[in-house]
Formats: sequence, structure tokens, C-alpha cells
Amino acid sequence: MSAERESGTIGVLGGSGTVGRVAVNRLAEAGTGSLRVGARDVERARAAVREAGVAASRARVLGVDLRDPAQLAAFCSGCSVVVNCAGPSYQVLDTVARAALAAGADYVDAAGDTVAMRALSAEAPTELETRSAVFSAGLMPGLSGLLPRLLAEDGPLERLDTYVGGAAAIGPLSAVDALLTRGPGFGTALAAWRGGAVVPNALSPLRSVALPGFRGRVHAWPFLSAEAEELAATLGVDELRNYTVYVSERIPEALAGAWARDDVPIEEHVPSVVAAADADVAVGGPWYTLLFHARPRDRDRSGPTRLILRTPDSYALSGVVAALAARSLVEGGVPPGTHAAADVLDPRRTLDDLVADALVDEVDLG
Amino acid sequence: MNSPVTPTSQSGSAEESSDPEAVDRLLARIWAELLGLDPGDITPDSSFLRLGGDSVLAVRMAALVRTRVSVVLELSDVTVDVTFAELSEVVRRRSAEGADAGRASEVPIEVEPRADRTAPFPLMPLQQGYFVGQQGGWELSYDSAHFYGDVGLTGVDGEEAVDALTDAVERLAEHQPTLRARVDPEGRQYVLPPEAPGAVPEVRVYDLRDSPENEVTDTLTRTRSEMSTTGPDPVRGPGVDVRITLLPGDRARLHTAMSLLVFDGWSATVLNRELLTLSADWNAVLPPLEIDFGDYVAALERLPSTEAWTADRDWWWSRLDTLPDPPALPLRTDPKDIQPTLMATRERHLSPERWAALRDACARHDVTPSAAMLAAFAVVLGRWAGHRSLLLNSLQLNRLPLHPDIHRVVGAFASTMLVPVELPTRATFATIAAETQRVFGEHATHNLVSGVEVSRELARRRGTTRPVGPVVFQSTLGMDAAIGETQPSSAGPLGEVSFGDFYHQLRTPQVAIEARVYELAGGMAVVFSYVEELFAPEHVDAAFADMFGLVESLADGTGWDTPVELPDEVAAPRDGLRIGQLDAERATADTGPLRDGLERDLAEIWEELLDTPILDRGTDFFHVGGDSLLVVRVLSRLAQRTGLTVGVRDFLDAPTVAGLAAAARNGVSR
Ligand SMILES: NC(=O)c1ccc[n+]([C@@H]2O[C@H](COP(=O)([O-])OP(=O)(O)OC[C@H]3O[C@@H](n4cnc5c(N)ncnc54)[C@H](OP(=O)(O)O)[C@@H]3O)[C@@H](O)[C@H]2O)c1
Repeated sequence: MSAERESGTIGVLGGSGTVGRVAVNRLAEAGTGSLRVGARDVERARAAVREAGVAASRARVLGVDLRDPAQLAAFCSGCSVVVNCAGPSYQVLDTVARAALAAGADYVDAAGDTVAMRALSAEAPTELETRSAVFSAGLMPGLSGLLPRLLAEDGPLERLDTYVGGAAAIGPLSAVDALLTRGPGFGTALAAWRGGAVVPNALSPLRSVALPGFRGRVHAWPFLSAEAEELAATLGVDELRNYTVYVSERIPEALAGAWARDDVPIEEHVPSVVAAADADVAVGGPWYTLLFHARPRDRDRSGPTRLILRTPDSYALSGVVAALAARSLVEGGVPPGTHAAADVLDPRRTLDDLVADALVDEVDLG
Repeated sequence: MNSPVTPTSQSGSAEESSDPEAVDRLLARIWAELLGLDPGDITPDSSFLRLGGDSVLAVRMAALVRTRVSVVLELSDVTVDVTFAELSEVVRRRSAEGADAGRASEVPIEVEPRADRTAPFPLMPLQQGYFVGQQGGWELSYDSAHFYGDVGLTGVDGEEAVDALTDAVERLAEHQPTLRARVDPEGRQYVLPPEAPGAVPEVRVYDLRDSPENEVTDTLTRTRSEMSTTGPDPVRGPGVDVRITLLPGDRARLHTAMSLLVFDGWSATVLNRELLTLSADWNAVLPPLEIDFGDYVAALERLPSTEAWTADRDWWWSRLDTLPDPPALPLRTDPKDIQPTLMATRERHLSPERWAALRDACARHDVTPSAAMLAAFAVVLGRWAGHRSLLLNSLQLNRLPLHPDIHRVVGAFASTMLVPVELPTRATFATIAAETQRVFGEHATHNLVSGVEVSRELARRRGTTRPVGPVVFQSTLGMDAAIGETQPSSAGPLGEVSFGDFYHQLRTPQVAIEARVYELAGGMAVVFSYVEELFAPEHVDAAFADMFGLVESLADGTGWDTPVELPDEVAAPRDGLRIGQLDAERATADTGPLRDGLERDLAEIWEELLDTPILDRGTDFFHVGGDSLLVVRVLSRLAQRTGLTVGVRDFLDAPTVAGLAAAARNGVSR
């Protein structure tokens, strides 16, 4: 343990990105130790730190390419927590986590699905006996697996519906992640969770529906993600329906078009996904909603059965969540081992923090 | 003039329906095919009838003209005695009208006999309206939507008449399965097998042959009043009620009441004819029917998956937001405050000579009599309502020509069609009629989507549960010819039918006033049916006088060329109580999460029926795909599961989960 680790340095890798710069800002505002910000482009990182309103003295900027093991190790060395906001997640997988653990740090990943967690668990580093790695500390995955738990606090649920989506720009990096999040390990389109098992083709897309908390008419695509499946099993619900919501059919069409052409390298499909998202945003600006709706097993029970959270920027809000996960680690609130953020963050406290955050327009729990 | 219409009998196939000669070649080939002739045998003045055609083939011909020439013919175009030259002329005219209107869509479906003729099938859109109306669902609705009529008979064989009639009804119920139709409480229809108990309607007899005059009058009054106010209800029994009153002096009256839920006006005509034909002759056999009404409905269910249907729907949907309001007729009572039991009628007849003169005048002005009557009604309404831009509703009796037997099948085929009318100022009636015909034709080419569905969407967009088209026009001019075989006036033991001695009553829900024109005993009848409670009697008098006066001036030729007087205002005035005022803004819905067990149960019932998630107590039933029939189903399931009953109208007053839960808790039901 170095002296720096004790004083609690938090390293944010990818801190100049859309997600990362918000994580940097929130960590600085919370005063959780000193910061180290890493990215390949140092100038851009400095500018991002400035724009995030963080004094240069509080945040050291380091040039680092995560594909270079030596640079990565140097970045992690001396950190008590490494927060990874660099991607693409499917390429990063457990690379940064291993480096962080090796350096004796805890780890937070703003992305990273089950696939990344499995990669890390496959040959689990011994440090996991004392240190923690928290994945999926973003909005989805992340809040989408955490917040619905609030609806089950007053009694078991017969059914849980989750709807997450809206209009958000997708950067080229996240577009690659979006294109790759399909297939085993990620989830099953059109499937639902029923009676303890995944039922394929149980649901059909809801076209042009009005949903509380969402603007106008939207399209909801059933996709039983790995996270939703976990959630269903954890809560013991009889049925879970998970929908990804889009304002138009542009993004689903772009993704479907890309998946139909798997003879072409995935990168070539990125522009069409990015353009589809931009076109969605052009219609009415960026907005994003999380809606969770529970049908309690006891029809007459009291306690909340619906939660709506609205934000103008889903990426930025992922940065907020990553920062909250880091804070929890610093506070010692997370047991050692590999976890999904949804399993280790406190849903009630997280919601309170979100209500107070400027990036949250509305929270309605009732 | 007897040269063949086609120079060569076989010509190329690359014909353009805009090229008159090509059209004639297509028509000649259709005739030749139907009549088993060589196209070269057909001359311009040969009539379809003389070449061996009959009414069945005439309807088939219209169907072929629709698919091969892409021209929709009107009922009155397809008479059996039409000559080739006349048909060619009509097709050209309709095709020119259709050119602005867009081509008639080809109907890519066929009617075939279903494997199981007793299987339940859904209600057609207009049937749904009647069904929901019977549950008190609408403003202006009745316990039963039905037509009642009684007609005088002379020279009746009092001993034989009842048996003959009873036997005729039995044979008719065998021939036309719809006489055995029933509707279940959730709004599905099915046909009972003939041997099922109560399947065949029973004939009721009042034998007053030896009764004094005052008893005869009393019984007649009572029977009329009873049959007019309590119609047959296919939810409980047969959809038709047949009675006969035997009177002194070998006279009688034949009473029939038919539920609009199972029979339309066309079917009523067919049934009356067939009933008389069968009564006249014990051995009469009606030509068998290959299909029934259920087969037609089953075929129509495939329509929405066709491109033609989608195109028609898009056509209508793109117009909805600019449709005018219904005629803003001044009212003396708010429709929501009344529970009418009967509709009042005004009726006058044009003699056969004047009706013939009217037809000639229409032909000279290139409009069909139906279009002229619609224009006349619109003019009268414009003056009465005080504005020139009007949304009218029309009842359409024609069936999609999907099968050669279709016109002989009875059932509730009818549909509605919304017709926007923009009356110009300082125009002659001839101009107005031509324009009305053009607009009507343009809308009729998009008739794959029924007017009931269009009205439902319009109501949804206008955010109202009130009727959007309560002013209705119905013309069956030309229907007799299209059905073929004129009404038999002699019915064996039942004697002679006196069509001049005809009494009738109609009750249709969601209608404030309806104008009907039809042929009767060689002449033309003009009828207003209206809800008496709504209108000042002097207004109806004036309007009816205006209408009939206009019709007479059209028959004598003087009414066509002088400018028609109309109000200056285009849009509906807003002052006072009038037709077309929408419901006061619904109290801003109580939104939020479902509040308790009852709301959760309701949301679950909605989800089952609407197949969409219900996640807010303020969700409006009609914004998530609900319609009136589904309202009835929701309420029936609610009653089953919770024992709570709510009236349809209470639901419509606050069609949200929260509203329905409140109504159920208050136990309000009308
Ligand atoms: N869970 C959720 O809900 C959620 C939501 C949004 C995003 N995400 C995930 O979060 C990650 C970031 O997304 P974003 O939209 O913020 O991306 P972004 O704006 O492109 O930012 C990427 C950041 O990572 C840095 N970076 C990229 N490649 C690097 C490398 N090889 N070595 C070191 N740093 C590198 C970039 O700086 P340089 O280019 O200068 O190196 C930049 O700071 C993605 O994996 C995305 O899928 C998750």
C-alpha cells in the first residue's frame, strides 16, 4: 500500500468522455479524495477537467492507452479506486479491472455486462478476496437493475415491467457496444421471464404506445437482458417484461440492418447507428426515461408500485452512477469480490442522491 | 346501329382503361364471358337482359368491372336492362370521376364457405355500434335498434294464410341462416342449427276476423306500439319477429320487425320478397346460396392485412383533421339529457310519373338520383344549420362485390360513410349536385375502411364520446333493380299486397336525424326520421317542406339552373344549443400509479383485451385502442370477477382506469 492509496486517490480512466467527465465532476464535488484522470489525448483530458469545474490541483491528468499494459499499470498504481469510463466495453472487458486489482485498487466500470464479469471471474485474481470490482455502474445496465428493487420492498411482485429509453445521441464508441450487445450473455429479444425461466418469443414489440413519463408515442422493443434476468431471479417475480424504448424505428432498423449483414466488419455499421440516434434527437432534443411498473402479488397492498425517472442525458447520468459506486467503495460499503452495481448499491440512498442531482428532471415514486 | 362493338373479338391485353375503345373491348369481353357469347355478337344497343343476363349476372358484371377496369359502379348503374352503350357511357363517366379520386382499389380477397358454419364470428363495425347502443352505450340509443313495418293484405284466404306464412318462415330460416343468428353478451355472433330449439322464428297470429271495428283499431295500435318500441333482440332470441293480424273482409296485416343488429335495409327487402314468394307457393324453391353472412365477415377479416386496405385507411386518416363539423342544427334539448323511445317520421311520396321525370332530369344533368337527393338534403341542412361546410354521414347498403351470390344473402352488411360537403354560394343546384356526386364518388372509392371505423378514429382525435356524424343520409334508389325480380305483389293465400298501405318505424342509435329516399310502388318516398325531443317541430316542418319542395322543383326541371340560396357562414356557428358541440373538456384525468386492488384488476382486464400495457390510472381507454365493443367486454369481465356493475354510458363519461374504478365503487348504473 503506497502513501497515495491511503490518501485515497480515485483514478478515472476515460475521464474526458461523455460519461467520464461527469464522473470526474461529481467525484470532485463530493470531495472524495484526489483525482487522477486518464485518456490517450492529454490536452482533451485537461480541457475536460477544466470544463468539469475541477481545479487542476485536485486532478492530475495522465496520458494513458489502456491497450498498453505498462501505461495502464502506471495509471492504476497508487489509486484506491479505478473508475473505468473508457471503452468500447466489449474490447476492454476485464483488462482495466485486472490492472486495477493488481495495483491494489478497487474497481468500478460504468459499463461492463455479465460478459465482462465472467471474463474476470474465469481466472479470478487473488486480490478479489480483499478488493471489490463493481461492474454495470451506469444507467442501463445499472440503475435499470437497481431501482426496480424499491417496488418489491413492501411485498412480493407478480409482475414487473421495465421500460428504459428515449432520444439520446450515441457516440461511435457506444455504437460499437450497442451493435455487440446481442447474443448469448447479453440477452434475448422478444423474450420474457416467466415462472423462473426465460420464455422466448413471449412478447411482441409495442408500436406507437403512450407510456407514463415518456414523451408522445414511442416504440418499445422487448429485450430480456442478462441484467433483467438476474433481477427477476433475485426478486422472485413470476413475470418480468423488459423493454428498450425508442422514439422512432430508426435505431432498431439500423441495428437490425447491421445484424443482417454480419459479413461486414462491425465498425462499418457504426455510422448508420450514430446517424439514426442523431435523427431521433433532432426531432425533439435529448431526453430519457426509466419507468418501472410492478403488479404486486397482493393486489390490495400499499407501498409504491411505480417509479418514473426522467433525465435529459442518459450518458451523463451513467457518470453520476459510476461516481456513486466509487463513493460506496471508498466508504467501505461493498464486500470483496465481483459484483454488479445493482447488487451492491443501496437503492433508496441512490434514488435520494439522484433526486438531488441536477441531471435528474423528475423522480416519481408512487 | 347493329355493328359489333369490337372490331375483332380477340385483341391485345395491354389495354388502358383511359382509352375508350379499350374500355369497350374489356366490357365486351366481360359480357361475352358472363353470357356465353362471342364479343362480336354484342352491339351497342343490345341490353344485358335481352342477351340473357339476369340480376345475378349483373352484380357479377359489376364485380368484374371493378377488378378489370378498376371502376366502381353504383347500385343504380347495374340494372339488368342496361344496354351496352349505356354501360360504356357510365363506366367512362365513373372512370373520369375516379381519375381525380384515385382508382378503386382492387379487393384482393375472396369469400369462401367456412368449414364450420356454426362457429362464432365477430360483429361488423356497424353491428358493434348497434350492439353497444342496445346496452345504452350511446347518447341517443334505444333498447333495440330495429326496423318495424306493417303492410295491408287484401283477398286473404283466412284458413290457409297462417299455415302458409308459418311454413314460409320455416323454409326461409333454412335458406337464410341469418334468420337463426344470435349474438352473445360479449358481442360475438353465431348461427343456430335449424333444429335447435327456438332457432326458427315463430309466427304470431291475431285473429280478428269476427271482431268489431274498435277492437281491430285497438289491437293494431297496441301491436304497432309494442313492435315499434320493443324490437327483436338477437341476444335473447331471433332477430326477426313476424306477426299477422287477420281482419274482417278477407283482409289482413303482415307485421315484421327486424333487428338492425342482424339485418340491413337491403336484407329487409330481400327477406320480404322471399317470404312472399315462399308464402305464395308451397313448392317454391329459392336458388341455393353458396355463402352466408359469416363467410363474408370471415373474408373481410383478412382485409386489414392487404395493401389496398392500408391505402384506404391512410387516405381517410390524412383527411380527418380537416373534416368539417356536422350541421349545427339548433336543438331544444341536450341529447345527453334524453332517453328517446321512438323516432318520429315525416314522409311524402313522388308519384311514378314525377319520379320518372326526376330520373330524366338527373340523367340530363349527369348526376345519379342519389347524388341529387344527397345534394338537396345538404342544401336544406345548410339553410337550417346556418353554415355551408357540413359533415354528413351516409348509410351504405351495398356489399363489396366479392361473390356472385352476395346480393341475395341477408345479413348486417351495411356500413356508413362520412361525406364532407362544402356548399358554394351563388352556385346553381346543377353545379352543387355535380360537385356532391364527385365528392361522394371520391370517398366511395376508398370504402374498404368502413365509415364506422373512420368515425371512431375521428371521435378519438376530437376527444369525444359523442356521435361525430349524427346527421345521416340514406338512399336505396336503384336497389330494387340491383336486387332484381320486382316485389311480388301477389302472395297466394296471403292475397294481394297493398304497398300504398304501408306503415313503418325505424330506430337507429346515434342518429339525430336521418333522411331516407327509396322507391315505393313505382314512385319515390322521401322520409325524415328524427328524434322528436331534440328539434322544435316548426323547424322540422320547415326543413321537410324545403326538402320536398326542392325535390319537386328538380322533378319539374325548374330547380336546376337558378342560384341556390345559402347562408354566408362557412363554419358551424357556436351560439346556443346545437348539434355537433363536443363534450365539455374532460376533467383533466387523474393520472398516477394504479392506486388499489380494484384499479389493478381493471388495468389487468384492459391489458387482456387491448394487448397493451396499462401503467397509469389516467389512461384513456380510447387512446389505447379501445372501442365500444371492448367497453362492453370490459364491463362484462368486471362484473364476472368483482360483481361490480357499471353502465356503458358511465364508462364513456370517464373512460380512464380511475374513472371506471370510481364508477364501479359508486355502483352507478343507469
Ligand atoms: N451503463 C450505461 O448505461 C452506459 C451509458 C453510456 C455509456 N456507457 C459506456 O461507457 C463507456 C464510455 O462511453 P462514452 O460515450 O463516454 O464514450 P466517449 O465519449 O467516446 O469517451 C471515451 C473516453 O475513453 C477514452 N478512451 C478511449 N479509448 C481509450 C484507450 N484505448 N485508452 C485510454 N482511454 C481511452 C477517451 O479519451 P481518448 O480518446 O482521448 O483516449 C474518452 O475519455 C462505453 O463503454 C459505453 O458503452 C455505459
